[in-house]
Amino acid sequence: MAAYTETDVLVIGAGAGGGAMSKRLSDGGLKVVCLEQGDWVHAMDHPHMYDGWEIERKRTWSFEPNVRQFPEDYPTTGNTTPYIFTGVGGSTLHYAAAWPRFKPVDFRKGTEHGVEGTIDWPISYEELEPFYAINDAEIGVARRTGDPGNPVRPEGWGPASRGGKVGHKMGSGFDKLGWHWWPADNAILTRTKDARLACNDCGFCLAGCPRHSIASTDVSYWPAALRNGVDLRVNARVEQINAKNGRATGATYVDRVTGRRHEVRAGAVVVAANSIGTPRLLLMSAQNGHPDGLANSNGLVGTHLMFHSWSFVDFWFDEPLEGFKGPEPAVLYSQEFYDTDTSRGFVNGFSLQVGTALGAATSALGTNTGNLAPWGAGHRGFFDDHFGRHALIYVQGEDLPVRTNRVTLDPDAKDSSGLPAPHINYGLHENDRRLVEWGQHRAREAADAAGGVIDTTTTGIGGIDAPPPGWHIMGTCRMGNTAEDSVTNKWNQTWDVPNLFITDASSLTTGAAVNPTSTLQAVAVRAAEYIKRRHRDIASQTITPSNADAPAL
Amino acid sequence: MTDLRLTSGDTKPPLGGWLPGVRLTEAQAAVLNAVADELIPGGDGFPAPSEIDVISFIARYVAPAGTPARWFPFLGENDLRARLDALGDGFVNGGSLARVRVMEGLERDESEFFVRVRDLVYHAYYSRPEVVRAMNRNLPAGRDYRPTPQPYGYSDVMDDWDDELLSRVRGTYTRTEDVRRVMVPADLPVGPARKLRGEGS
Repeated sequence: MAAYTETDVLVIGAGAGGGAMSKRLSDGGLKVVCLEQGDWVHAMDHPHMYDGWEIERKRTWSFEPNVRQFPEDYPTTGNTTPYIFTGVGGSTLHYAAAWPRFKPVDFRKGTEHGVEGTIDWPISYEELEPFYAINDAEIGVARRTGDPGNPVRPEGWGPASRGGKVGHKMGSGFDKLGWHWWPADNAILTRTKDARLACNDCGFCLAGCPRHSIASTDVSYWPAALRNGVDLRVNARVEQINAKNGRATGATYVDRVTGRRHEVRAGAVVVAANSIGTPRLLLMSAQNGHPDGLANSNGLVGTHLMFHSWSFVDFWFDEPLEGFKGPEPAVLYSQEFYDTDTSRGFVNGFSLQVGTALGAATSALGTNTGNLAPWGAGHRGFFDDHFGRHALIYVQGEDLPVRTNRVTLDPDAKDSSGLPAPHINYGLHENDRRLVEWGQHRAREAADAAGGVIDTTTTGIGGIDAPPPGWHIMGTCRMGNTAEDSVTNKWNQTWDVPNLFITDASSLTTGAAVNPTSTLQAVAVRAAEYIKRRHRDIASQTITPSNADAPAL
Repeated sequence: MTDLRLTSGDTKPPLGGWLPGVRLTEAQAAVLNAVADELIPGGDGFPAPSEIDVISFIARYVAPAGTPARWFPFLGENDLRARLDALGDGFVNGGSLARVRVMEGLERDESEFFVRVRDLVYHAYYSRPEVVRAMNRNLPAGRDYRPTPQPYGYSDVMDDWDDELLSRVRGTYTRTEDVRRVMVPADLPVGPARKLRGEGS
């Protein structure tokens, strides 16, 4: 009996990219093994029916692996903490599920300004659009069509999530100013699909969804992938991607339950372990012929890390808005200031995304910006004036891809299997600092136009702690135009190893000014389609073809 | 399904807190109730924390002896008992003004402990059904608020979009073929590799 498993394609990571990839490949009859270091999350693992549902966001459902400290998590070191979840579904298990698309201009930022490490994407919006559409249908997007600020998008599976009083209030503010705004697209069902229930507007989105209304990949892609026969192995922590003679041969993983090592051999390997985990794994895979890590002969693995530049601005109004109802992170957005206008003193732009708050405890404890209800005699008055009268505006800016913003391996810190922790260095560029500062004033303008602001607080420039929180982690193995400017070609094929693909947010060339998951999944679906149709070509390649020479889809 | 071999013991904090919860002595509970009542005084239609058993919630979120206080609110049983014992009857019987002075001192001198207790009391108080009912009765913005997000949600009391408002929305975007080079602000510090001034790349 062989001491290893053989398969057509090995996928590493069962999150946004890995789930979409595994399902699409197996639709085409390819034999797929997927390795995931976490486990399944059961509907009853969500805190939505516990009286401690708000406190659990700081414990079992903390955004930060260093706070959760679960055995499946790996620690991170450095000057900021990324928000990562580990399990089948990956970080989609706790994501916002906001579902905007990148705009056409986002794929041409090298042409537009080329500042710092900015390059053009090797593909256009028009080339990616069919895959956005496929992915939208898979996840069951909630959408109101007709947004004049974006290219035409297909009808959603269901209508847009309802806006509630917050939507009406803030929409009225943007309307008074004559600024663009539109109800947010969300990867949240507003109509039942398969075994997933429609959202019932419970208002608590960022700890997953026990109704499975939110399209985390454990409920959107994985049921179909498993029916297709994908061999999904949980608690399987990859310690190295193996390579020989310039090609990937598979990976070795540790079973976290038994502690035993296993090998999977594959015709192609796809890494989708998120923008921290993917470069970490490539750097951990240094071996003969790849002394600086796999796919890293140009030294770009882990570089050009992007988080978006953020400011959260909380506003309280003199009327009930009931923000404990409805989708928490994305009610509506304005893209009035999305495009570059250098008279503002910076390149790129931002979205103003309107969100809500959680419940009473969160309100008492300062909502999103530390505006704490005082203890003692002043408590009741403060709480009564603030609870349920709140709207949040996220200033979500496009940050520049800066080479020195990067992921490396920590020489000392280890995970529970003894593997090196990733070290993260991120600094906000002056351009991005200016952008967020300018955006904060626009957020205030919008709230004032809505009328009746009684209080406001903000995280300042750069998030709750500067540098900004790693909600959206992107760019660390970007796709590009040449073997000198990127880690992969336009088909997500690493320049150094032709049968090694990267299909998570680390492959995004630039980050745009919107939530990235719809785009990273569209990219993954496109790459899956390519592998499906071209696996015989890929099997014979000894060097990765240039974008011009690569076989077409 | 979650593998229990990986979630037993202290590898993960249990969802909902540790059961059955730390059992405080009567004297310790009296001190904790007195602290909670000063943090969130009752009145104006809202109950005092001591009237609604905030302690049953707090007891589940204090790490039991032998379990490291690795997770929020980072309060361990032995430490909490010792601190409550130290405050003792004197704190309970000293009158409100004296209690406030003691707590102001804690906030100033032992801020980490104070903040942990304060945050846990806030969480406990606003989780109690009696408080949610008070919000329903007394706050126009809290009329529909429920103790937990599920199973009911809020679809039955959720407003939809205003079609008339949406009909007025205007906007545009830059098409791929219309993307042009911009002049980068001259005072923008950029890396040594690229300092562009509108010339072609």
